[in-house]
Amino acid sequence: MLRKTILQPTNMPIVETQRLRREFQAKKKVITALEDIDLQVEESVVFGLLGPNGAGKTTLIRILSTLLLPTSGKATVAGFDVAKEPEKIRPLINMASGAERAGYDFITARGNLWFFSQLYGVDSSVANRSIETLSAALRLENYLDSKLYTLSTGYRQRLTIARSLINDPRVVFLDEPTIGLDVMTAKSIREFLVSQAKDQKRTIFIATHNMAETEAICDRVAIIDSGRIVACDSPASLKKNFGAPATVMEVSPPLQSLQAISSVRGVKGATSAIDADRGVARLKLIVDDEGAVKAVGAIVESSGSKVLQSWMQEPSLEEVFISLIGRGFAERESEDAN
Amino acid sequence: MYARAWVRVKSVYDEPLWLLVNIGFPLFTSTGMALLYRSAGLASFSGFAILGGIMMAFWGNVLWGMASQFYWDKQVGIFDIYLVSPASITAILVGMSIGGIFSTAPSAVITAILGWLLFTPPIAPSWLAVILVFTITLISLYAVGMLLSSLYLAYGREGEAVNEALSEPVTMLSGLYFPTLGSTSPFPLALQAVISLIPLTIGMDALRRTVFYSEDLGSIASSLAVLTAMTLVLIFSASRALKILEERGRKEGTLSVRLR
Repeated sequence: MLRKTILQPTNMPIVETQRLRREFQAKKKVITALEDIDLQVEESVVFGLLGPNGAGKTTLIRILSTLLLPTSGKATVAGFDVAKEPEKIRPLINMASGAERAGYDFITARGNLWFFSQLYGVDSSVANRSIETLSAALRLENYLDSKLYTLSTGYRQRLTIARSLINDPRVVFLDEPTIGLDVMTAKSIREFLVSQAKDQKRTIFIATHNMAETEAICDRVAIIDSGRIVACDSPASLKKNFGAPATVMEVSPPLQSLQAISSVRGVKGATSAIDADRGVARLKLIVDDEGAVKAVGAIVESSGSKVLQSWMQEPSLEEVFISLIGRGFAERESEDAN
Repeated sequence: MYARAWVRVKSVYDEPLWLLVNIGFPLFTSTGMALLYRSAGLASFSGFAILGGIMMAFWGNVLWGMASQFYWDKQVGIFDIYLVSPASITAILVGMSIGGIFSTAPSAVITAILGWLLFTPPIAPSWLAVILVFTITLISLYAVGMLLSSLYLAYGREGEAVNEALSEPVTMLSGLYFPTLGSTSPFPLALQAVISLIPLTIGMDALRRTVFYSEDLGSIASSLAVLTAMTLVLIFSASRALKILEERGRKEGTLSVRLR
């Protein structure tokens, strides 16, 4: 691979933001997408930015990858200011989004990777070696000479990941890299990303709303909601400091309004989901005391529903989010939509 | 630059159907015009139609392959990849132009060969002048494409409508079907002056004069000078416009960001 220069003392964070703020002007009103973001990301880690849709993850990634200027505050990558020195940052980074097209349809996977390597001035022989190495690691080698339009979503996504590493970047920004992938493909991509951070000493910065993904691969996680970082630590510490065991209650329809349940004294947060296959609703409660669970049970029963079963669940990042915000991702997203 | 040219050439040459479509459109249009001229007793004009067919192939490529390319790249996220990389956007555009010229060349060559075989129009070329005019006209044509690509980026979805709107009027006014400058032009002088602002009009006029009337470099020097100046202004404007768009996009979030 071709990493050439170390451009800063290694004890500095590779990505740093200070009171970062970004506003957008939209139809006579100002939308604050990011507010007072303070982050420090060390080298060679997998860093997760976890939040519901609309939380500001993509905006932050776009600022850090020099596509967007902050409204105020400061952000640096590899010691360089994203606003003032984008030309010094660009050779050192790469970016990929799960939503992007992996390249040009009528060119082979190999051709696309070579083309994108040339945007970074990578020598063709080095690029060809990198293509072989990356495609072997991502199990893409049998499809290298297939045209892009013939590849399945999973292989296109693998190609996108390979593309984001073709210039041997120090920092890779990935926006929802496993979105829409089957479980096994997503798992293999996650394992690959972890190996890139550990073996290649690369910093992988992932924005995602996938909690299981974040928990599985991230060394550190920042939880973002409505443009603000509400917590930042390792997944284990987040669970230890903010997570509480959840009480899961399976109830028969109709489901009681979540607002009524959330307003029960002792309920710190609640979320609900419908299990369409089984025709039941599942309530997840974070409570301060056991009495709150009983009170919620009574509300459910009084509305004509029936509590079918309930159990305790060990805290995951989902419980951390519910504890911190009071609601789950789905509820936050529907609030934003309204 | 080379890599972007390679992508364009490879995409077309690897797809025989595309190649056929590229060849078919200008060939059939110019053949139709040439047949019309011949049946109207204007055999010498059939040569103009064939020449128009050759340039029409390039004009079509500029509109559909150059001008709107960045707009489509933006829609699918590839433009973000360009912006995040250290590559110069102008260099990518130049690469796209070179690739466009090479991928359109078969269409132009086949139109020329078949047209001349079918209609044998009387030609009297001044070869050095022809080659020079052709080259500069081609560069100016792709410089228009470079400028249009930045405008399409700015105006987004309307790009395709602009393409449609520009296609036929420019084809007609620039003289791809018949002479639109000089004594044989059906247009009044005022309109001729206006359409001279289109580089293709000046290029087509100079090509016609060098291919059919043996005019040499001396007699078309003013056309060459104007074309060259226009080309330089267009390339500079395209480069500036892209730079301004990129800066504005970073500031306002309009170029690549999707507000989520």
